[in-house]
Amino acid sequence: MSPVVRPGGLLSAFAGLALALGATRASAEGPPGRHVKASLVAETDAVRPGQPLVVGIRLEMEKGWHTYWRNPGDSGLPTRAKWALPEGFAVGELRWPYPVRFRTGPLVSYGYEHEVLLPAEIGVPAAIAEREVRIAARVDWLECQEACLPGRADVSLRLPVKALASPGPQAVLFAEARRRLPGKDPGWRFSASSAPTGLILVVRPPRGTALREAYFYAVTPRLLDYAQPQPLVREGAAHRLHLPRDPNGAPSERLAGVLVAETGSGTVAVEADVKIATGPARTSLKQERKP
Amino acid sequence: MRRLAFVLVVIAVFAAVVAAPAAAAAVVGQPAPAFTLTDSHGKPHSLADFKGKVVVLEWWNFECPFVGKHYGSGNMQKLQKEWTAKGVVWLTVSSSAPGKQGHVDGAKANALMKEKGGASTAVLLDHDGKVGKAYGAKTTPHMFVIDTKGALVYAGGIDDKPSTDQADIAAAKNYVAAAIAEVTAGKPVTTATSQPYGCGVKYAE
Repeated sequence: MSPVVRPGGLLSAFAGLALALGATRASAEGPPGRHVKASLVAETDAVRPGQPLVVGIRLEMEKGWHTYWRNPGDSGLPTRAKWALPEGFAVGELRWPYPVRFRTGPLVSYGYEHEVLLPAEIGVPAAIAEREVRIAARVDWLECQEACLPGRADVSLRLPVKALASPGPQAVLFAEARRRLPGKDPGWRFSASSAPTGLILVVRPPRGTALREAYFYAVTPRLLDYAQPQPLVREGAAHRLHLPRDPNGAPSERLAGVLVAETGSGTVAVEADVKIATGPARTSLKQERKP
Repeated sequence: MRRLAFVLVVIAVFAAVVAAPAAAAAVVGQPAPAFTLTDSHGKPHSLADFKGKVVVLEWWNFECPFVGKHYGSGNMQKLQKEWTAKGVVWLTVSSSAPGKQGHVDGAKANALMKEKGGASTAVLLDHDGKVGKAYGAKTTPHMFVIDTKGALVYAGGIDDKPSTDQADIAAAKNYVAAAIAEVTAGKPVTTATSQPYGCGVKYAE
């Protein structure tokens, strides 16, 4: 479960590493990111022609400092990357491990502390003339403790072009990031409807899975009030999560985001993207089960 | 019976959510929350004093880089000058609590505004954050526009380019300028809400 943390809060296994690296400045031009070190890492030790390459933006944060998720919540900015790739290479969207919540006074934002890896998949052409390729990105982020500073770094890596590739020295970081990447799981079913004060997300986990706690991180912008609690009510095999609405938000036909749930067998992060029904929420399981 | 119990639980949960104090936010289309605050010269101002005028509220923290973007470029001061000259009341509000980033007393606020060439009608000191919370002010800047009848007609960001980069201002759509222009012309505001962006307001914990 992603706990609500306060800036300067939990010490994790990464904290020691972050402290060790804390004095290191990002090799950056432009505005100084003073408390976050950015680097670009690859999952493998070589590029294989015609095979996708997985790279990641790694952010190592000083203790007490954080950066933001794709939806930063009440304040902040998501981390952004502008890529510079060899001709014929094409990069997909950054992928976002599920975040934690930072509460400061009445405000709640979504992000990461200690360390995060934001992976991206790069399409590689079938024929590469060079023996080595260079992948580069300009990374912009906002780092906040209580105060916020914009951060920027130009990061790059070089990889040899080979017919075979092995896991690189940073492969363990990708394995860790994947454990926190939300997935699409057809075993989990979602439906959403409008209620007077917000939205009701009905969650049907796979048979035999009970939710102890759940929190929905909205990707749809300007829909929810992030600072409010999300009460979870169980009804048989289904769970209802009440998501309070942003009173000055924007109307949306869909609700998209990531459900992070604490189950009997650990933390699960699942993507949800559902149409918001306008009528009252249906309570009968039979009505909603589709053949 | 179980169904009834469930319904009761749901009602209880909703009631608790509705009753939560943080839910009290100013809502566009409804009367703007009343307030009285002391300005940086020690003079009290009530929203009711400005009935018949268009009022702009600008949440401010001089140490926040998003505020720095709009003051460093002169963007905010330009808007303040332009619209106060046309009779709009522009209130810059500081909700930074004592000991928090951007906290100012009257003298500090006056010195900063003199240095920056600020042209607000007044800088209001909201040290306990009550007015900020009543409006649901989340970021610096976070902008609100109130019409001549006291209704909130705009709540959101200053523009559509969430960044700290001054270079983004030229191509940005300034929602606040558009809302003031429309409301002073007696027209409905086209974009009445937008995503506020910036540093979190530094309320007391």
